[in-house]
Amino acid sequence: MEALHRLYFDAMPCYLTVQDRDFRIIDANRRFREDFGAFEGRFCYQAYKRRSERCEVCPVARTFRDGQPHESEEQVRTRAGVDVSVLVRTMPIMTDAGEITAVMEMSTDITHHTDLEGLLRRSQQRYRLLFDTVPCYVTVQDPELNIVEANRAFQEDFGNGLGRKCFEAYKHRREACTPCPVQETFDDGEPHTREEIVTSLSGKRMNVLVTAAPIRDAEGRVTGVMEMSANITQVRALESRLTQLGMLIGTVSHGLKGLLNGLGGGMYLVDTGFAKSDEQRVRKGWETVRRNVARIQSMVSDILYYAKDRVPNWEQVSAVDVVRDVGSLAAPRAAELGVRLTLDLDSAAGEIEADAAAVHSMLVNLIENSLDACRLDQKKSDHAVGVRLRGDTDRVRYEISDNGIGMDRESCEKAFTLFFSSKGTGTGLGLFIADRIARAHGGTITLESQLDVGTRFVVELPRSPPSDLRDGVDRHLPAKDAQP
Amino acid sequence: MTDVAKTVLVVDDDPDAREFLTTVLEDHGYAATVARDGVEALAALEQTLPDLVALDITMPEKSGVAVYRKIKEDERLRHIPVVIITGVSDDFRKFISSRRHVPPPEGYISKPVDHAQFVEMVAKLLG
Repeated sequence: MEALHRLYFDAMPCYLTVQDRDFRIIDANRRFREDFGAFEGRFCYQAYKRRSERCEVCPVARTFRDGQPHESEEQVRTRAGVDVSVLVRTMPIMTDAGEITAVMEMSTDITHHTDLEGLLRRSQQRYRLLFDTVPCYVTVQDPELNIVEANRAFQEDFGNGLGRKCFEAYKHRREACTPCPVQETFDDGEPHTREEIVTSLSGKRMNVLVTAAPIRDAEGRVTGVMEMSANITQVRALESRLTQLGMLIGTVSHGLKGLLNGLGGGMYLVDTGFAKSDEQRVRKGWETVRRNVARIQSMVSDILYYAKDRVPNWEQVSAVDVVRDVGSLAAPRAAELGVRLTLDLDSAAGEIEADAAAVHSMLVNLIENSLDACRLDQKKSDHAVGVRLRGDTDRVRYEISDNGIGMDRESCEKAFTLFFSSKGTGTGLGLFIADRIARAHGGTITLESQLDVGTRFVVELPRSPPSDLRDGVDRHLPAKDAQP
Repeated sequence: MTDVAKTVLVVDDDPDAREFLTTVLEDHGYAATVARDGVEALAALEQTLPDLVALDITMPEKSGVAVYRKIKEDERLRHIPVVIITGVSDDFRKFISSRRHVPPPEGYISKPVDHAQFVEMVAKLLG
């Protein structure tokens, strides 16, 4: 029986020792002897750790104290100098009377296991670091589109989204978006990409490129989806700006060719008028030259306004003074065109907090537009442009109406878009800039128009601009294509 | 020149351009009629047939391209030579490539118009 026990003892795939109260090794199995040498006369701490004194924390000592088994993880060194991580378990060896005479100590080699654990911990740290520092919003979602994990960038801009629905956090919606790239990935297990517009906690709108990738379990089932959203707002804004610049160059060169054609026509009339001594023809030609030069000037000023993207210069402006000034500037041109220009201005309309030069430029563009609409109209002989100003507690209201060519519905809808001109000879900048100026003041421009009847523009400007516009938080208006 | 002056229909939405071309034509012994957009041009062609059409491509209402197609697809109008006048070379290229069963225009002049070149082209086309 004794021999059988010895056989088992030696065959155990771990280090086994039996120690007395002084931690002297009184027996050891074969595995121990192979790696740590003969045990006779040696103490545990000498054999395992090459120490001269016992360890401060020792499971063998604890078992001697309380008679219970104990466990600890230790680092030991073999006689060949190899460091081995071991899981130590101890158990008491008692007499029939319950007295502890020795403790059996069993150390299992867990070096490989410990290495793996360290590797796992380090890769988890790296994954967390990547997750948190990657320059995009990352969330992990369950099949109900609940956010179960979110990185630091997401939490900073969208709050702690854990447990919330993706569409609530990103879009402040009550129901799922359709189509939804995350849902599509849950459906077919494939990655999906889509461009979306999201709104941060602070109300900032962003264009994001969303990529959804499946997270699979050991059986290959999609248990979650990782959703990554890269903020591409600046790229889109730049793209839109570049497209607009390209269009600007195209329209400007087209517009210039038309204006040069008008100038050439005027010069032809002047030259041939002199040759024929036809004073009337010379005068007509000179008027054409002057008109086209004035149009080139106004085109250049519009282009400069567009190109500069200026920051408004806020000051108290008299609503009536600015429109009166524009009216007197427009009067000579109206007279030349035979258009009756009437001003109906409430001199008690008061002041607005505004950029005087911008409001001036906006009114010039609208009145010029009305005069052009009259000039191009050949169906009526009597033309008029009316300018009206009224003010109430919160806002002032400018109305500019004409009985010129008017616009059809499509032209009305496109009137404020960049480079749209229904007049054939415009640059397509004037109304775009007028609308931009009104919006930069927190105001609006609306228009009513009927083909061959006329057009009425109504500009409403608040007494003072909303604080976000005045403080320059959002003074550059969002690109049109960033709207929902 | 024959006894009866040949007529040119000038189609352009810019009044200065219309004034320029009609004066040049009249100075060189042609009669000129005008239309300020595509709709007016088609209405004018219903009334009397001109001997030549000077056509701006980019106009509001019916575009010059549509007027050109209409002229070349209509048995009654097909023989009338058309001189395309435009400041947009891209539009002209698009216009040319959009033709399928329509023959190319008889003449093309870009803005700003050289009046001598214009008169020379009209004279050549009207024999």
